[in-house]
Amino acid sequence: MNPHTSEHISLRRRMGKFTIVLGSLLLFVYVFLPLLTETFPALNRMSAYLDENGIDPSRYYYTDVEQVKEAEDYLQSVLKSD
Amino acid sequence: MAQGDAKIVTDHGQSRWSDLWTKEDYLAIWLGFLIIGVCLIAYFGYGPKEQFAQKIETAQQVQQAEAAKAPFKTIEWYQAEEAMKLKASSTSAFGEFVKHWTSRPGSWKTNPVESLIRTEAQAQAMNEKAMPAYEEAQAAAAAALTAATQAQEAAAAAGFEDPALNEAAEEQIADWRAADKKASSLKGKTTNKPYNHIPTLIGVCIFFIVFFGIGIKMMGKSFGEFAKGFVIVFLVAVLAYMLGAQAISKQYGIGAEAWGILLGMVIANTLGTPRWVLPACQVEFFIKTGLVLLGAEVLFSKIMAIGIPGVFVAWVVTPTVLISTYIFGQAVLKIPSKTLNVVISADMSVCGTSAAIATAAACRAKKEELTLSIGLSLVFTAVMMIAMPAFIKAVGMPEILGGAWMGGTIDATGAVAAAGAFLGEKALYVAATIKMIQNIMIGVTAFCVALYWALKVEQSGEQTRSVGAGEIWHRFPKFVLGFLAASILFSTIDASLGGKMSSALLDQGVVRGGTRLFRGWFFALSFAAIGLSTNFRELAKYFKGGKPLILYACGQSLNLILTLTMAYIMFYLVFPEITARI
Repeated sequence: MNPHTSEHISLRRRMGKFTIVLGSLLLFVYVFLPLLTETFPALNRMSAYLDENGIDPSRYYYTDVEQVKEAEDYLQSVLKSD
Repeated sequence: MAQGDAKIVTDHGQSRWSDLWTKEDYLAIWLGFLIIGVCLIAYFGYGPKEQFAQKIETAQQVQQAEAAKAPFKTIEWYQAEEAMKLKASSTSAFGEFVKHWTSRPGSWKTNPVESLIRTEAQAQAMNEKAMPAYEEAQAAAAAALTAATQAQEAAAAAGFEDPALNEAAEEQIADWRAADKKASSLKGKTTNKPYNHIPTLIGVCIFFIVFFGIGIKMMGKSFGEFAKGFVIVFLVAVLAYMLGAQAISKQYGIGAEAWGILLGMVIANTLGTPRWVLPACQVEFFIKTGLVLLGAEVLFSKIMAIGIPGVFVAWVVTPTVLISTYIFGQAVLKIPSKTLNVVISADMSVCGTSAAIATAAACRAKKEELTLSIGLSLVFTAVMMIAMPAFIKAVGMPEILGGAWMGGTIDATGAVAAAGAFLGEKALYVAATIKMIQNIMIGVTAFCVALYWALKVEQSGEQTRSVGAGEIWHRFPKFVLGFLAASILFSTIDASLGGKMSSALLDQGVVRGGTRLFRGWFFALSFAAIGLSTNFRELAKYFKGGKPLILYACGQSLNLILTLTMAYIMFYLVFPEITARI
């Protein structure tokens, strides 16, 4: 086992801890956040908009986001003579 | 970054020729360039270059003729523009092959199995559901085209000399383009195909075992032990991809990278990561190889995408904020770890996760420091992505100013696009472009941080002494050179090919249909490995006193003020003509 984890803790207890922590995380992301989105109309609109336009806010680099290419093409087109 | 008991990777002794085939940094460069080389040969040697050249030439001739004919961009001009948007990745067998074999779990809403398997019936049902909206949009686009054609013909009948008719035609053409864009976007939702990612995931896992296993063997480590543990690291990465592909999780910016760290940490700190998995937690090796590939995406031609205003907003404010935040952290907050200080400063000021990864590797930060920086970035990004467009709308700030502000301050590019889109189309274009220009800065940031660390930081304190070029070379993280070499190589190819051909072959071929797919996997693997080898108590130590949070909040406040000021000066006082054209 990982040296950071106490090996003397029983497997049953470790499984219990794992279930509770992972369960809490999953509940937060897949129950609480959807509820939050449903509750606030602005968030709901944003969710629908992102889904409709295929925008993924979790992507971090420009090549991962299609809309950047679209933006680049647009600006190239309108600023061409510069 | 941290490794083993020593926590920091340091090379002792003199540099030797054998370092070239035994040291992690060099091996990351060779492996990265192996992928780059294969992709370049496949797309440039066997790709549709001739075919693309002909299409681009024909379209450019049409555009020249149309530009000479009318004082505005005609329907035919835009159609020629669309005809030049070519993708080598979807028109070559190699592109299809790589895309298929590096495919990751897909998006899902309520059933996670859908991210791995989509049946024929499910795909058909999705297409049927999306069809009415698409047909409606298609009909609207056709009607808009008819109206635009009529308006253009009216303007042409007057010899394009009637300003009112020209303006009417321009308006109708703009309406047609908007309707056409909507129809194209909806068309994508009617072409869902069935898939089963499980066989390809098994295939790519075996490929990665061999690929990284060669490097592991050359470093003198056990291939067998690596291969055994890698299966678990890979499974965590796959699960992270699945969890991060859920619609709501994505909406709040919790993607595969965040899930990789979270899931890995939950396993490590509750069940305990089995000892036999740890030899496969090669965080630095995965990151460095991924960063060499990322170099291919750092194209210097992008810097001028929005002219001089963009350079000032992204390349003047950003380093100012980075350096100020670092000094503030050292002089005022007295953050004990310089590496944590600089990683948070770069993460917050440059471009979030990617900048954090590059900087952490360049200054050999500990993995807990990288985790903490990314965690802070994720939280702030989620809040700013929602709060900033709402605030900008509430105060009635112009779209372009708002877009530039968000592009320069929100960390993740996807979140910038989301916030920009919520504000308006022009805000999206400006925000996304400013962020892209900032993204390019990670090469310079990584190089400067690596150099500063080799020259100054690593010889501070008791070890202060004058060092020669040999010692500096010895200390310098060599993979940064591979990262820069890839960036220079791709920037040179990009410049020699020219805009459209470079976009078709390099951007939409070698990068998006090759190197980027592997880079995504390598970073996902590194995040899973970080999680699996991170102790929560160690992580908590770095957060003591809340100093990292204070540093991030203060740095981001400065970033918000400086970016808004610079964006206003550049887009509204110095270059209003650029703003008017956008």
